[in-house]
Amino acid sequence: MWMSVEVNGHIYEREVTEHWTLLRFLREDLELTGTKDGCSAGECGACTVMLNGEAVNACMVLAAEADGATVETIEAEAVDGELSEIQAAFARNYAVQCGYCTAGMVMSVRELLRLNSKPTVAEIKEGIEGNLCRCTGYQQIIEAVLDVSGQINNGTRGGLKYV
Amino acid sequence: MNDVFKYRAPTSRAELFGMLAAHGEGAKILAGGTDLLVDIRSGLVRPELVINLKKVEDFSELAWSQSEGLIIGPATTVNDVLHDAKVRDSYPLLADCALTIASHQLRNRATVIGNIVHASPGADMAPGLLCLGARVQIASQRGQREVPLKDFFTGVKRTVLSHDEIVEAITVPTSTARSRGSYRKLKRIDGHDLALVGVAVTSTDGAVRVGIGSAAPTPLLIEGLTDEDPADAVVAAARDAIRPISDLRCSKEYREYMIEVFVRRLLEEVR
Ligand SMILES: Cc1cc2nc3c(=O)[nH]c(=O)nc-3n(C[C@H](O)[C@H](O)[C@H](O)COP(=O)(O)OP(=O)(O)OC[C@H]3O[C@@H](n4cnc5c(N)ncnc54)[C@H](O)[C@@H]3O)c2cc1C
Ligand code: FES
Ligand code: FES
Repeated sequence: MWMSVEVNGHIYEREVTEHWTLLRFLREDLELTGTKDGCSAGECGACTVMLNGEAVNACMVLAAEADGATVETIEAEAVDGELSEIQAAFARNYAVQCGYCTAGMVMSVRELLRLNSKPTVAEIKEGIEGNLCRCTGYQQIIEAVLDVSGQINNGTRGGLKYV
Repeated sequence: MNDVFKYRAPTSRAELFGMLAAHGEGAKILAGGTDLLVDIRSGLVRPELVINLKKVEDFSELAWSQSEGLIIGPATTVNDVLHDAKVRDSYPLLADCALTIASHQLRNRATVIGNIVHASPGADMAPGLLCLGARVQIASQRGQREVPLKDFFTGVKRTVLSHDEIVEAITVPTSTARSRGSYRKLKRIDGHDLALVGVAVTSTDGAVRVGIGSAAPTPLLIEGLTDEDPADAVVAAARDAIRPISDLRCSKEYREYMIEVFVRRLLEEVR
């Protein structure tokens, strides 16, 4: 099918394989490999991207469904090599280890903060419920979210006492 | 997806019904895709044509009218219901059920009607919709029909729908608006998980209803109880209705036990 989709501000017009997922289209056709494939089954959240401004699992959407849509991926987070606020908070709080979950995690945090600018720890846990991380134990990620939403200061950073 | 299929996104009902009638069993409806794409990937379903119905005009509507009550459309997502002011005010039980489904990003796609049509015994929207007397509006090229939700399910992942039919709406009557009641879902972990059991109890003008998921081949509705019935009688009615199995998530005995616990707790809440 011929389709037109805006990804990270660029408009792509091209033939899309009708049985491909949006995840496969992003990674293999557009070579935007920042978005990861963890399970291909909606379980892990590594493939989370923004579709028309809302977080979705790219493995649970057909590429063809994005015809006429706007997509944002992790590649749009940093601007001119400058980390976004969420990315910087992840780095500051050691919220990244192997990094496989990070792209999806950052997208989910962006969605959470879009809907709730000062989430509580319980709300953060709910917001990242669909993103599995096998390395960090989540605590550093939760701290990164508290940090980027202005709920943590230098004195309390790294204490994990909020979690 | 490994399997090759064609994709279409009709924009009118007529076009959609025409495609379904022409392709028979080879066509599959795609709503949120969160059940269908998993089934295609695992080879359980092998469609030649996947028809996205979200582009059909008016299908995303979540509406309310004094005569018909709440009208849930084919593209209404679980998060649409969860955040709707009318739902929160008049049918908070549905928001309760919605919040327990999967994760936030999945709920942005998963539809309420897809949850019901997939007809998993553990579909989390079912116990609440059953208690609230929901009705299923079915349509095809041949015409329209209406089925009470309690008669819609016929077995594990089986319903009364034929291949050329779609569910055009699920309606929830005004008579059950502001019913008291809530939903409890037992999971193995705090994060997202399918239900070990799910129980809803409502009290509507003296009538008590119990909806139970993951306890029989289909979601169950237990009716004919009143506010005067002692808790033991309600538990006995639930025990008579359920036919739980043991599976990889938990044992039959644990299901039986927890259903009783939830029925008692939820009854106390509505009384
Ligand atoms: C990781 C994960 C976690 C999940 N967790 C839960 C959970 O906690 N609780 C739960 O209940 N479910 C859960 N699910 C299942 C699923 O997300 C829900 O059942 C969802 O509501 C299905 O809706 P959908 O729009 O995505 O359906 P789709 O996959 O689009 O459709 C499901 C089925 O219904 C048919 N269909 C859809 N709409 C119509 C219509 N209008 N007319 C006729 N046929 C139609 C399709 O052809 C298909 O057979 C989970 C799924 C995943 C992948
Ligand atoms: S790859 Fe999409 S949720 Fe795991
Ligand atoms: S950092 Fe390794 S999975 Fe999260």
